[in-house]
Amino acid sequence: MRSLSTCLLAALALAAPLGAHASTSGGASANAPAPIAQPGELGGRGLALRAAKILTVPLEGRQFVDNGVVLVKDGKIEAVGSARDTAVPAGYEVVDLGDQWLMPGMIDLHSHIAGTFDINDSVYLTNPGLRASTAVRPQDRKMEMGLAGGVTTILFIPGSATNIGGQGILYKTGSADYESGTVRNPGSMKLAQAGNPERWTINPGRSFMNWNLRNTLVRGIAYAKHWEAWRNGKGPKPERNPQFEVIRSLYEKETQISTHTQIYQVVNETLTLVAEELHLPVYIDHGTFDGWRAAARAKSLGVNAIVGPREIDVPSYGFIRWSGSNPEKIGGCAAGYQEAGMDMVGFNTDAPVVPQEELQLQAGMGARYGFKTDRLQAVRGLTIVPAVTAGIQNRVGSIEPGKDADLLVITGDPADPRSSVERVYVDGQKVYDPSIQRRRW
Amino acid sequence: MKLLHTKRAAFAAVLVATFGVSLGARALAFDDEEKKGDESEEAEDKSVPEEEKTAWFAVTHADIYTGTGEILRDATLLAKDGKIVEIGYDVDIPGRDYYTDVPEEKRDFRVDVLDAQGMRVYPGLVAISSSGLLGTGGDFRDSIDPFSSNMVLGLAAGITTTGQGRSAVKLKRYVPHEPPLPYDFDGIVVRDDAFASMSLSSGAAKRSLIEKFQRASQYLREYRQWEIDVKKDKELKEPDKKGVDGTVLEVLEGRVYPMFRAAERADLLNVARLAQEFGFRPVIDDCREGWTVADELGRAGAFAILSARDRRDKDESLVREGGSSIENAAILSAAGVQVAIVPESKGVALDGIVGRDIMHLPIEVDFAVRGGLSEALAVDSITRIPARMMGIGHRVGSLEVGKDCDLIVTDGDLLHYQTFVQYTVIDGELVYDKQQELYFAHIRPRPEVELAPAAKLDAGEDAPAEEPKDDAKDEDREEGEGGE
Repeated sequence: MRSLSTCLLAALALAAPLGAHASTSGGASANAPAPIAQPGELGGRGLALRAAKILTVPLEGRQFVDNGVVLVKDGKIEAVGSARDTAVPAGYEVVDLGDQWLMPGMIDLHSHIAGTFDINDSVYLTNPGLRASTAVRPQDRKMEMGLAGGVTTILFIPGSATNIGGQGILYKTGSADYESGTVRNPGSMKLAQAGNPERWTINPGRSFMNWNLRNTLVRGIAYAKHWEAWRNGKGPKPERNPQFEVIRSLYEKETQISTHTQIYQVVNETLTLVAEELHLPVYIDHGTFDGWRAAARAKSLGVNAIVGPREIDVPSYGFIRWSGSNPEKIGGCAAGYQEAGMDMVGFNTDAPVVPQEELQLQAGMGARYGFKTDRLQAVRGLTIVPAVTAGIQNRVGSIEPGKDADLLVITGDPADPRSSVERVYVDGQKVYDPSIQRRRW
Repeated sequence: MKLLHTKRAAFAAVLVATFGVSLGARALAFDDEEKKGDESEEAEDKSVPEEEKTAWFAVTHADIYTGTGEILRDATLLAKDGKIVEIGYDVDIPGRDYYTDVPEEKRDFRVDVLDAQGMRVYPGLVAISSSGLLGTGGDFRDSIDPFSSNMVLGLAAGITTTGQGRSAVKLKRYVPHEPPLPYDFDGIVVRDDAFASMSLSSGAAKRSLIEKFQRASQYLREYRQWEIDVKKDKELKEPDKKGVDGTVLEVLEGRVYPMFRAAERADLLNVARLAQEFGFRPVIDDCREGWTVADELGRAGAFAILSARDRRDKDESLVREGGSSIENAAILSAAGVQVAIVPESKGVALDGIVGRDIMHLPIEVDFAVRGGLSEALAVDSITRIPARMMGIGHRVGSLEVGKDCDLIVTDGDLLHYQTFVQYTVIDGELVYDKQQELYFAHIRPRPEVELAPAAKLDAGEDAPAEEPKDDAKDEDREEGEGGE
């Protein structure tokens, strides 16, 4: 995954804006109507946040700083370090957070709550052209709840009624408007294998669904290759096909397939079909049940796993044709992936199945049922792991200079439900503060 | 600091099955051989029959959270025939500290000692309501299955008593005996008629209920006057009881708390007014908007049942505050309302979505703590307070001398998300042991009993001294310590 992510980073840095809804790099404050920019926001004074513990969680290296300070300027993180070694420039507003902690905003790569719920149009069995972005409603009540729970970025995706529900959008929950909220569109192409799509009009079985899926993807790749050939001067300019545009983005490694895949047999098929055979960037999303039994193979193919909403695996014969393991052992799904050696394991809610604001509990429950947390993996699974998995780690997912200032003030261990989010900054702008407004969560 | 509460602390969880019957074997005696070894001595004439023996049970070396505010570190709790007789230090345990010279077969008592070194002891949890732990609902006697996995999972969750139907019942599973004893259905009831449901939900129901209260309180006044007058005039007839509702009378006499279902402000105020008018303490189930009228409910002496994660948006057509609030439990408690917390789903959820069912009572409570409730009150909300609501606070809900020996032994802070119940004890009998059941034994298994120190010492001098690898260690510490 490391090499893939580097690749993605490069691709992102170079790529032209994707599709009609291009992302802006400026962040929320670029279009904020505020007459006077507050400290930390674009155009405002600098902001220095001092905290007892800062969970920086970069991909590599030291994961936290005690008695630290984060400098924020123009919506971006300028510096982070121990208070002793980090000089606060003159004119910065200094906020002492006492014994509270700072961490990056959390990221949920499986969410359905960014607006209206009409994101499940089951026209064909594969609908790569549909866009969840059309259903976004900025400052939707459910997003505001998520924000109060510390979730600052979500992958808002279509439902799983068909094998390809459409395109997701990576979106910031705390943004004032659509333009500034869009981190990337398409944020992913949503793939759903087995399970829900079996209820589609003709009740297709897994063999047909996989054939049909392969058919769509192969044709999409062929389409992408025509464009590639044209770009290299080796063919005529192809006609734009809106159904296949997103597969072209996949082929160009500009986005990923987020796969609703969750049973050993089905996860295996995801790995075989998408990763091994078609070489498209893909990750396990909504990873539950005993899908973890394919973890070793996923790891070898560089496929990350985002786990949820089910965090325990209680195999019982017959439930969506489970492959079944020890019928009386209650195991953790995330722990299963981790025990196979995977370190890129994250958590999702599938909001509203699990409410958006309870993302942190998903990590807590993973940890309860065996996921090891001694290297802050639970925190990483809420931040840097999903960021790298979705290829947006150049903007969010850790507290590092140059990244968006999406920061949470939290009273302690993020996996502990008792730890409450006491303040949220998005792009350096304070967007939630229960000390001066009604506590939402 | 709460982060990554490690279980590295050496909890030498030792289940010392001393003096006769092996505790482990009795708890999960699927192993026939072991049972025979322990209990096949029935033939001896001199021995006291097992059922006539006094049953002593002790937990030693535990941090005991009594549930009354005290925490006793490294202390002992001793129970006799299911009742707590002593909690504290220097507690003498029969057979260990005295009567040691009486041969085992001549003893008229048996003793089980649970060494809980490094672990914590809390009162068994009390679920004010649940579904599926004791059968399918209603009167538990109709559908209880003492062999059900749900009951084991309930005990694994630390629940020792739950309300079901109108009863308060203990989760006492089948404990194997040789020969097998019949399951004691009535023996697990703490109280039948622990609940009195009442309704103010419609105008008609409200009028009817008020009339019942008026009639019953009139009767009570007449009866009390009669009690005085009858001393002078022995011929005086008892007041007429006609038309007096028995349940309402019990409520006015303080024998049972009436339970109302009320979520919205107006309904809550109605309950509070009725309670103050007639002088009783109401239990309010689903007390969602309680936080908006907390003072009124506090003055009415109300109890509240709520789920910390209740979610209902405010009715936008109203000017006042409304809807659910994560601060509900904290605000109500501050106003003097006694709060019991229930999870979102009262059954055992095995569909994989975890942290919101009856198996995760402490997790639900964590959200109340998030909303500002103190941790002590949070524990109360799943122990003492629900016990009081069911009128069984004198038996269960806290660890005090004279009360039932219902307790749990945990590997850490009850409210921490990684904490597991290691043992559950009901009436001084071990009914659940995490390592002996299939469900959770593989998750952070309890360390095995340490070998006798002597055996280690023998290995002593020749054993190569372990060189601490400085580099590796430092690195470890650097990355790992964030959690400490």
